[in-house]
This record gives sequence, C-alpha cells and structure tokens, in this order.
Amino acid sequence: MIASVFNVIGDVLSSEAMYNSAVRFAIVLAFAATGEWVAEKAGTLNISIEAMMIGGAYTSAAVFTATDTVPVALLAGVAAGVVVALIQAHLSHQLTIDQFVVGLTLNLFVLGLALFLDSRWKAVTSVVKPTKILLLSEIPFLGEALFGQPWPMYLIVPIVPAAWWLVFRTRWGLEVRAVGDSPQAADVSGIHVNRRRRESIMVAGACAGLGGGVLVLGQISISGYEAGHVGLKGIIAIAAVIFGGWTLRGTIIGCALFGYFFALQLTLPVLGHRINPQLAASLPYVVALTVTAVFATRTRQPRALAQPFVRGLT
Amino acid sequence: MRAPDAAVIRRGLKVTGMYVVSIAVALSLSAGLIAITGGPWRKVLSALLDGSIRNPGRWGGTLAEAAPLLIVALGAIISTRAGLVNIGQEGQVAVGAALAAFVATRGSGPLVLVAAIAAGFIGGALWAGIAALLRFWRNVPEVISTLLLVFIAAQATGYLLTRTFLLLDSDPNKPNRVQTSAQLDSATRIGRVRLFGNEFPWSVPVALLLAIAVALLLHRSVWGFRLTVLGRNPRTAQRIGVPVVVAGAAALAISGAMAGLAGAAMLAGGTANYRYTPGFANSVGWEGLLVALVARNRPLVCLPTAFIFASLRTGSGFLAATGVERSIVDVVRALLVLALLVPPAVAAVQRRRVSPPPAAAAAEEPTVIMGATA
Amino acid sequence: MGATAATPAVRLSSITKRYGPVVACDAVDLELLPGEIHGILGENGAGKSTLMKILIGLVQPDNGSAFVAGRETVIHDPQTAADLGIGMVHQHLSLVGSLTVWENVVLGDHRRLDRRTARRQVTETAEHYGLDIDPDRHVGELSAGLRQRVELIKCLRRDPAIVILDEPTSVLTPAESEQLFRTLRDVVAREQRAVALVSHKLAEILHATDKVTIMRQGRVVDQRTTADATAASLARAMVGREVSLRASATALGAAAVPREADGNAEPASRPSVADDRPVMLSIDHAQLQRHGVAVLDDLSLTVRAGEIVGVAGVEGNGQRELGDLLSSLIELDGGSVTLDGQRVRSGRAGSMARSGVAVIPEDRHDSGCVLDMSVADNLLIDRVAAHSRFGFINRGHIRRTAEQLMAEFEIQGAGYSAPFGSLSGGNQQRVVLARELSSQPKVLVAAQPTRGLDVGAIEYMTARLRAAAESGIAVLLISTELEEILDLSDRIVVLSRGRVIGQLNRADATPERLGLLLGGMATPDEPTEESHARA
Repeated sequence: MIASVFNVIGDVLSSEAMYNSAVRFAIVLAFAATGEWVAEKAGTLNISIEAMMIGGAYTSAAVFTATDTVPVALLAGVAAGVVVALIQAHLSHQLTIDQFVVGLTLNLFVLGLALFLDSRWKAVTSVVKPTKILLLSEIPFLGEALFGQPWPMYLIVPIVPAAWWLVFRTRWGLEVRAVGDSPQAADVSGIHVNRRRRESIMVAGACAGLGGGVLVLGQISISGYEAGHVGLKGIIAIAAVIFGGWTLRGTIIGCALFGYFFALQLTLPVLGHRINPQLAASLPYVVALTVTAVFATRTRQPRALAQPFVRGLT
Repeated sequence: MRAPDAAVIRRGLKVTGMYVVSIAVALSLSAGLIAITGGPWRKVLSALLDGSIRNPGRWGGTLAEAAPLLIVALGAIISTRAGLVNIGQEGQVAVGAALAAFVATRGSGPLVLVAAIAAGFIGGALWAGIAALLRFWRNVPEVISTLLLVFIAAQATGYLLTRTFLLLDSDPNKPNRVQTSAQLDSATRIGRVRLFGNEFPWSVPVALLLAIAVALLLHRSVWGFRLTVLGRNPRTAQRIGVPVVVAGAAALAISGAMAGLAGAAMLAGGTANYRYTPGFANSVGWEGLLVALVARNRPLVCLPTAFIFASLRTGSGFLAATGVERSIVDVVRALLVLALLVPPAVAAVQRRRVSPPPAAAAAEEPTVIMGATA
Repeated sequence: MGATAATPAVRLSSITKRYGPVVACDAVDLELLPGEIHGILGENGAGKSTLMKILIGLVQPDNGSAFVAGRETVIHDPQTAADLGIGMVHQHLSLVGSLTVWENVVLGDHRRLDRRTARRQVTETAEHYGLDIDPDRHVGELSAGLRQRVELIKCLRRDPAIVILDEPTSVLTPAESEQLFRTLRDVVAREQRAVALVSHKLAEILHATDKVTIMRQGRVVDQRTTADATAASLARAMVGREVSLRASATALGAAAVPREADGNAEPASRPSVADDRPVMLSIDHAQLQRHGVAVLDDLSLTVRAGEIVGVAGVEGNGQRELGDLLSSLIELDGGSVTLDGQRVRSGRAGSMARSGVAVIPEDRHDSGCVLDMSVADNLLIDRVAAHSRFGFINRGHIRRTAEQLMAEFEIQGAGYSAPFGSLSGGNQQRVVLARELSSQPKVLVAAQPTRGLDVGAIEYMTARLRAAAESGIAVLLISTELEEILDLSDRIVVLSRGRVIGQLNRADATPERLGLLLGGMATPDEPTEESHARA
C-alpha cells in the first residue's frame, strides 16, 4: 500500500506530461484570477467571471472555426468577455441589482447561450502547436512545461505584471484600491466609485475572456470546444484570489496549486494508475475548498468587498 | 391626502409599464436569437405552450415540476433572510435525493417513505452545513463554497452509483446500461392526485402548504422576526440575543434541507421513473433559486413564478419537433430573469434621485461579508 | 450687490434645496471673503452641512446660483469644486485606511501618479504649516488627531482659495484644537485664503472666527462680525428663543460661560450618591487586543445604583469598545464584567441585555436599530417574544405597546408602521431611548447620546438620563463632549488608550482640569507605537 503510494508520487513527480499539463491549467486559471483580483480590489466579488470565461471560450472557438487565425480568435474571446462584463457591470454597479444575483443569472445565461449556439454552429478548433524554445525546453521535467507551450499561453507573462503595475503604480489603480476599501471616502475625494468598479469588471472580463480563448486554443489533450469545458474554473479562480489573501503573488500561487490538481486528474490514468474517476474529477474542487478554508484570512480583504455603493446611503 | 396617492399610483403604473417593456424585450431577443439561428420562433412558442399547459394532461405535469422548484425557492428565501447567499441548491438537491434513494431502496412501505424524505432533508442540511461551517469557522464566503460544493456533490453522488452496496441497482435485468439506483417500490412512492384528466403527486399540495407556512413563519413568527434582524443588521441581532453564528448556520442548513427535501420529493414523486440517476437534479436547484430571486424573496409570489418556470421545463420537451435545441430554454429563462430584475432596480434608482434620505449617517465600518463579527 | 472691499472668493445667492417636504436650505445667501475666517453656526439640521455639500458639489441645489471669484459657476461634483479651488476638511469621511498618507493626499488628483513627487509635496506642505507627518504610514494606523492632520494637508496641498472645515474639533483634544486654529489663522493671514468654519460650538466660533453666519431651519437668521457678538446673543439667534445657557451648554460647547451668570440653573446639587448604594456594574481589569494593539487595557470601573458615571476621553481611546463590550458585541481577552453581583460572560449574544444592561449606542445605525423595519418593530426589537403566543407575534399587542411608548416618549413624525429610517435623527434617538428605558434596566449605558441632536432634543435626553439615575438606574455616560460629562456626571473617569488614567469627583472637576487630563497627561498621537513598545 505505502509502497504503491510512493510509486504514484514518484511517477507523478517524474512525469513531464504532468508538469506540462499542470502549467497549462495554472496559466488558464491565472488569466481569470488576475482579472478577478483587479475586480475584487475595487470591491466586487465577481462570480460572473465564470460566464466571462465561457463566453471567451466559445467565441474564440467559433471565430477560430470561421477564420482559422489564432490572434483574431483570441481577440474575439476578449471581446466576448468584455461584453459579459458590460452587462454585469451595468446591472450591478449602475442599477445596483445584487451582484451575486446578476452573476449567477449571467453564468446560467452564457452557459445556455454557448450550448445553444454550439448546437447550431459547431465550433471545431485545432490546437496551436507548441512553441519550443531552443535548449531551455530541453531541461528535464520542467523544461517543456515552462518553455514549450503553445504561444498564447505566454500571454500570461506580460499580463500579470501589467495588472500589478496597473493596480499599484497608476492613478487608476490607486483609485480602484480606494474604492474597494472605502467607497464613501473615495466619493468625497471626487472619484466616481461605480465607474471605477465598472472599469475594473471590464478588466476582469478582458482577462477572463482571453483565458477562455487560451483554454480552448492552447490545451493539448483536448481538441475542440466542448460544453462544460470551463467547468467552474472561473469559480476556482475566485478561490485562488481568496487563497492568496488578495495579493497577486498569492493568487498566482493558488492558480499553480489548483492547476496541479486539475492536471493530476488527467495524468494519473495516463500514467497507468487506477484512481476512482469521481474522486479524480472532484479533486481540484475539494482541494480548492479545503485549502481556501485553511488559508482564508480576512486581514487583507478589501473592506468594501461585495458592498454596493449608493451615495448618501450607508 | 390625495396627492401622495396619485404619486404612488403613477409610480406603480410606471413600474408596470417597465415590466411590460422589459419582458417584451427579453422575449423578442429570444425570438430574434431563434430566428438568426434559422429556427421557427412561432413554432417554438407554440410548442412551449403545448408542452406546458395546452395539451391534455400537461398542466398536471407542469405542477409536478413546479413543486420542487417551489420548495427550493422557499429554502433560498430563508437563507437570504438571514443575510446569507446560498447558491448551491443544485448540489443540495442531488445529495438530498441520493440519500433519500439510499434509504428508500432499503425497504418498502410508508414508513420507509417518511424515513427517505427525512433522509433527503438531512442530506441537504448536511451539504449546506459544510458551507456554513466553512463560513463561520474559516471565513470562506458561502457564495464560493456552495458553488464548489455543487460540483463535488455531482461527483460524490456519482460515486454512490458505482457501488451496489450503496446505490447501484443490483438487479441484473435493469433497464439500460446507465448506472442508476433501484426503482422505488410502489409502496414507497408519494401518492398521486387525479384532477380533470391531469395527475400530479401529493407533493404539489404539500409544497403549496409549505409556501404558506414559510410565509407565515417569516412574517409573523418570533423566529422569522429574529432572522430578519440578523439579515439586516447582524450587530443589532447579536445585541438583542440572536446568536449570529448559530442562527446564521441554522438558516443556511435549513435552506439546504429544503433543497434536499425537494430532491427527495422528486425521487418519490416520480422524477426519472422513481430512480436516482446521474444528473438527477437536472437544474432544479438553479431554477428554484432563480424563482426566489425573481419573486424577490416573497414566498407567495414564488407560487406563480415557480409555475412559469416549470412551464418552460415541461414545454421544452415538445421542442424536439421544431428542430430547435432545448438549451434555448435556458437562454429564454435567463433573459426573463434579467427582464424581471431590471424594472424594480430602475424604479429604486429613480426614487433615490428624487429624494435621497435626508441625513443617513455614515456607518464607519462597512460590514464584512466574510466571517461573523464575533 | 453690496459694495464689499474685495471680490468674495465665493458668493452663494438664494440657494434653496428641498428633500421632499423638508427644506434643508431656504434662499441662503453667503459670502466668503479672502483673508477671513467665516464661522457658520447652527444646530444640527439647521442646513449647514447641506450648504457646504452644495459648495463642494456633493449635492445639487434646486435653486440659486454660485459665484466663484466673481464668475457664476455650476458645481457639478467634488471634482469641479476642487478645480475651482474649493477644498474641504471632512469630519472623518474622506480617508482610506488601507492607503498610505501620501496616497490619501493625492487621491482625487488628475495628474500621473508619481510617488517621489507626491511624497515630497506632502512633506513640504506638512513642513510649511508645521504639521508633522510620516508620508508612508498607513492611515488606518493613525490616531484621530493625526488623521485630521492628513485631511488638512490633503486639502491645503491643492492650494485652495477656499477652505471649508466641517466640525473640525470633534475628534481633537483641547490642545490639538488650539493648534488647529493657530494653523488656520496663519493660512488666512499669510496666504489670503477664505476659510469657512462649520460648527455648532459657540465657544469655538467666538474664539476663532472673524465673521459669523447663523443658520436655523434652513435659513440664515443673522450675519455679523464676531467681535460684536456675545455667547448669549449667538445662542439666542441659533436656537430661536431664550435658552438656559447652562442647560444647553452641551449643545453649544460653551462650558466656559460662568455658572453664576445663569439665572435659571438646574439644581446642580443633586444629592451626591452615597457610597453605600450597591454596585450595579463593575468592570474589572478588562483587556482586549486588536491587531496586536491593546484597545482596552486593564480597564476597571464601577457604577453604583442611582449614580451617573461619565467616561471622558478623546474619540478613539476605547469608548467604542467599551460600548460594544456592554452590547455583548465583543469578547474580552481578559478581565470580567459583573452586573448586580453576577458575573456575565462577554461576547455571548444578548448576555448583557439579559442581565439588565440597556444601551443607547454610539451609532444607532450600527448596533441599535434596523433602518428598514418599522418604528414599532424597532421599539420592541429585543422583546417580541413577550408579545407573542405559540411563537407567533401578536401584531395588535405590538402596535398598542408601540403606540403607548411613542406617546410617552413623544416620538413624532411618523406612525408606528413607518420605516424607522424615515424618522428624523432626534426621533430615532427617542425610539432608542424609549426602548432601552422601558426594558427596566439595572444599568443604562449612554454612548454619545446627544451627538447630532438639536438643543431641544439634547435637553430632553439630558432630563431623561437624570431621571433614570434618580429612579435608581446605574448610568454610564460615555461622551467626548466635556460639557456634557461635566453637566451630568456624579463621578468622572478619564479614558486614554483604553486605560483609565484618572478619576475625579464632580466637585473637583473643572473644564480646565479635565482638559489637562485629556490632553496633557497623554498625547494620543502615537498610540500604536507605544503599545508596540509595551508589548
């Protein structure tokens, strides 16, 4: 028994496919989580990040089917994410409908819409070939995972620092942080609270839409768009933000961790280990829930998270 | 005092007008969507009506679908009252139904039925209880945990169906190759009401009574009063002796229990031919939650709302003939939900513009969504 | 237009603002001149705040016009106001705790965010006005006094032609207030800015302003040069009738008025409470940590039946936590609370209320009431079970009891079924008072009970508190208003950084002594640092 467990661990640790897959999942999560992190900094717990990913995934796949051009497809995914974000932002931060109600409805709406459209216009994607960076990709174990991914995956490399810079080094970011922490004070200081919140949701939409696109165009083991492809990865991205204690670094670490378990679920059977399929499928979600529970702290939470702002009230 | 009356009437008319417009917009958007994708939208509408109420014997089926939606919605209202956002009913329904199936397939007879329904209730409560535990003990927002638990519930109940000593039907002659539980014995099923050529299980009138009971409890009972205080101002609640953690966790568990109860009622009421199957909840959890949202958390308004939502479910069965994918119903439903949410929100914004509250004092510390103030 | 020597920095002309049936500002005219401190005096609800909000663009007037530097202007929002050179020092609303001092100071600018320049500007502005501050501290860690310093720097750095201060001294010790007024005088004299000082405190207005505009019920009732005004004349204009200066000293902040000058003084010589009356409330060695800082530090105090004990202190020195403790909202890390001889566990839902503690909370919206429930529900919120049968509420019973209480406590403005939030502040406070007194408490905690009330309401509240004590209730009065403490208390304890730093009997307490205790013995500037050092 114990020997076999060590056996499994050994196999997993020495499997290049495992690292490869883990990095891919982590990157897809990181797109959404980075966007979500910006939205939460401004005070929105944006559960429609899931809808934004689904929208991005289907749109990218459909546009790729039509044009056969990866950059165009990815841009279309971004656009779809932003469209979902527009709806969320205006309903929850202009009409002040409860943000969770809007988010949940949007999640169901976009999921159904993608399903319906897919039944009419089947999206068929082929997958972007991995770009192998010379020599570096030859490094054992991690080489291919880090330096041999399809090129859209590498878009995460500029996006994460860009998001950090945006939030901590620009005036917009300063205002976003103010709005997420103390909307009344920000308002009195002359900042359009709900406008900043809407804009931050747009950022989340763009990131998550791109993440959806990368998900369908950059995965190697799955070909083509499938309904349920996103499968609550948006919600896992939110868990990563909470796990990370609302720091960007912690969020990315969370994505890496959760990505690892998504990969485990795919790779174990490939490596010839029998694992209960239900356990394997629920593993990432159980881990996300447990780990978030263990590490959840409120200390750095934006103080006005999920609090709507109406001038003169509260 | 004539003038304010007139203003109230005018406002009422305006809101009604907005409702009409937004529903029309939602429906034409849906029709447009069907048309763009090359479907016949008139036939779709007709099929929906045929399937839900027009054809003989159909409204009974719609009522049968409405009952679990209603029960789920009532549960959602209870947790919302306490200021908690339970959006994992889909998983709670599945767990409730699975546990009910586990009990119901161990024996036969009315006592077993009662035990099975109790098992469903407890199953839903336990599943939501996990979220409550994480919320009050570890500060994990229940919005996230209940959602993640939906997915885990699907896998966990799926696992039960892989083992004969748990749920899997051990009968070698079972109908198909899909893994299902054994069928409930005819003595372990909820009886059926026959009315004007329609029939539906007794769970329908029971759900109706439940709605009235929940309405009474929330609006007239001491418990409902204290729950309302808790939801609107937790610190005041703590001061007057409502234990924030205990009462909040209980409300969340009860809302899960109602979803589990709905699952048990579905199983014993004939859903999936009295068997627990993979994907048993079949969106009843999501849709029941939407019923509560659209009814803006008023139990009695849930009655017609649940019926309308059930109509979309039963009606969609008749769509196959039109060649339009069933999932269009998901789109139509979501558009309708949005259409029904917008008018009151617009009205509220306009009201605020006319007369902001004179001197609403600023609360220094915003209430934090995560974790109790203990 | 009156012929004035200089062009007014800002002139408001017949400004009117209505909220439904309430006229908050009624054809108000106001001129602020450069090089002048202009006091705006009025009771709560007189329209001062609305007027100032119009001036900085937070509220749009229904009628009237504004001229800035002689040009007619519409002030759409705070941004426009800032561009026009109008700056405001808010009471405590405009700072974001999680941001640093320099980030807060530049919040609301348009320019590119440049950390180095911003920090330099903060330091320069601070030095220029002698307001020492570390630009990299997080504002959340600062004391109330230091926060206000940040507010002032934030305002002055933008080089505003017009500076508005809204009740600036409410969070300051007497010494800090004095320093603030020195800075203001400097700003006006050296830099020819126009300053508007909004206050309800007579003493402050008399001391620090050149001109004064007095508002009552939305109207300007008087405008004059401060040198020509006396406390009595200002008070009369502000309240609209002859007032007993001593009785309303709290409201007007004029404790310096000599007692003998007041003819119809209250019988201040209430028989002092004998030491043999039983101790009803006793807090022993209470200890509470928040984020590693002791907010209650070995705090002990007792209140006897029939006694009013005043807890004096500058805001943010543990008063809020003391109130929360007695509202069952926080659990102590150490120490105990004993009520009428019984030890009570802290932090258990309703434990204090069950043991006979009634609380008029510091912020009734925070832990006193539910805004969108009815007046009747709020009146009986803690005892609906007593008005129920088989777990169901007897609505008729509730209504009758509520109506009785509303009549007894003169709660007006709406029926029992109206939402609590639709009541005026004074009536809301009466609802709280009615509920707490009718619960037949052994101990009554009144935290800032008169904050935000007008003179009439303050007189009523004060009388009720005295009556409560006379009926044998032990009253703990927590207040930052020295006058209120001096006026009501039999015994005074002084709180600083969560510790009791002094106890005085009423007979030995003078405003001067109390002021010294508050400001002199402990400068509450750097609370965190010292407690870190102690830890």
